[in-house]
Amino acid sequence: MKNTGLNRSLLLLLLLFGLSSCGVSNVVIDGSFPTPNINKMPIAIAVYYDDALKDFAYLEYSETGQEEFNIESGKSHVQLFNVVLPAMFDRVVFVDSMEEVPTLGVDAVFAPAIEEFQLALPMKTKLDVFEVWIKYNMRLLTPTGDYIADWVLTSYGKTPTETFRSVEGAINDAAVVALRDLASSFALSFNQVPEVRDWLNNR
Amino acid sequence: MNLYSLSKTSAMRQLLLAALVLLVSCTSTTIDEFRQGETGISSTETVVILGRRQASDYETRAEFVSCVGERMGRGENALQIVPEQEFVDAMFPWFEPRTAPLRTRDLERLMAENVVAEKMLDFGVRYIVWLDGFTERTDRSGSISCTVGPGGAGCFGFGSWEDDAKFDARIWDIASMSSVGTISTDATGQSYLPALIIPIPLIARVEANACSRLADQLKNFVNGS
Repeated sequence: MKNTGLNRSLLLLLLLFGLSSCGVSNVVIDGSFPTPNINKMPIAIAVYYDDALKDFAYLEYSETGQEEFNIESGKSHVQLFNVVLPAMFDRVVFVDSMEEVPTLGVDAVFAPAIEEFQLALPMKTKLDVFEVWIKYNMRLLTPTGDYIADWVLTSYGKTPTETFRSVEGAINDAAVVALRDLASSFALSFNQVPEVRDWLNNR
Repeated sequence: MNLYSLSKTSAMRQLLLAALVLLVSCTSTTIDEFRQGETGISSTETVVILGRRQASDYETRAEFVSCVGERMGRGENALQIVPEQEFVDAMFPWFEPRTAPLRTRDLERLMAENVVAEKMLDFGVRYIVWLDGFTERTDRSGSISCTVGPGGAGCFGFGSWEDDAKFDARIWDIASMSSVGTISTDATGQSYLPALIIPIPLIARVEANACSRLADQLKNFVNGS
C-alpha cells in the first residue's frame, strides 16, 4: 500500500517534469524606455495602434518543428511609442479608431505596424549572442485617411550569452535593445524620410 | 601516528595549498598606452565610461564597463564617474549602438545639437572613455565524469582552459573634441578544475585583473600623471 503511494508520487513527478520540458515558453517583453532627449516638431498628430500591433506575438519553432518560444511584444511596443511620440511632437492624441480623427484638429495620423519579427538563438547560430530583428511599416496619414508617407524601418538588438541568465531573460534583453534601436532610429530619421520632409516643407 | 609523520602531513598540506594559490593567481596582464594629447581634470569635471556595442559577433559587457568605472571612482586620485546606463538613458537616443559617435568628428556633429551639449554640461563630462573588447575562452582540455549511486555521489577527472581578455580604451576629450589616447590591455590566464569526489575550481581571474589594471592606468592617464 505504502509502495503504491510512492509509485504514484514518482509517476506524478515524472509527468510534471515531462510537461515542463515539452511546453512552449512564454516570454512577455518587459523593459523601461527613456524619454528621448530631442527637439519637438511643431506638429499635432493622432496615433492609432491597431489590434495586430497591440497583441503582437511571435512564435519561434525548434529545429524539429516544435513550438519553442512565444514572444509577446505588443504591449511593450505600445509602451515605447507612448514614451517616444510625445517627446517628438508638440501635441499627441491617442485614438481608438480612425473615425475619431477628423474632429481632433490634428495635422496627421501615425499608424505603426510590425511586418516581421526574427529571433536568432545561440544554439542555432553558434554565436555567443541572442539577436532580435524587427521590421516595421510606418504609416503617416492625413486626418481623412490619405497617405502622406509609408516607409519601412528595421530595428536590431543583441545581448551576449551569460552563465547565470535564462534564455527567456536573454531574449527579453535583446528585444528591449531592439525596441530602443527602433525608438532611436525613428526619432532621428523621421524628418529625413523624403515624403515626410516634403510634407513638412509644404505645410 | 607519530610526531614526525604528523608534521610531514602538515607540510604536504601547506605545499599543496601554496601550489593551489600559485595556480589560481596564474594570470599575466600587458598594458599598452598611446598618448596623443595632454590630459588633466578638475574636481568639478566627470568621466563617462561607455562600452562599444557595434560589432556583430560580440559586445563589450556592461559588467566590465561598470567594473572599470567603479574602480576609477575609488582610492587615491579617485575620479567622478557617471554610470553608463544613467548617461545613455539621459542622452537617449544619441548614444545607442546605432547612433553613438564612432569618431571624434561625429562627436563634433553631435555636440552641435543643443539638447546634447546642454546635457553634457549638466553631467560635467570632460572625458568619454570608450571600452571595446571581450574575453575569449580557448584551449579547453580534459574531462570530468560524475556518478550518483545508492552509496553517494562523486566526480573524477581534470579539466583546464585558457581565458584571454583583450580590451581597448579610447579616451576622448570633450573640451578639445579630440582623441587624447588609447590604452590596450591583454590579460591571459589558465584555469583548472580537478575533481576528486568534489570538483575544485581554480579559476584565473582574467577579466577582473584586466579591469583593475586598465582602471588604474586610465585613472593615471586622465589625471595627467
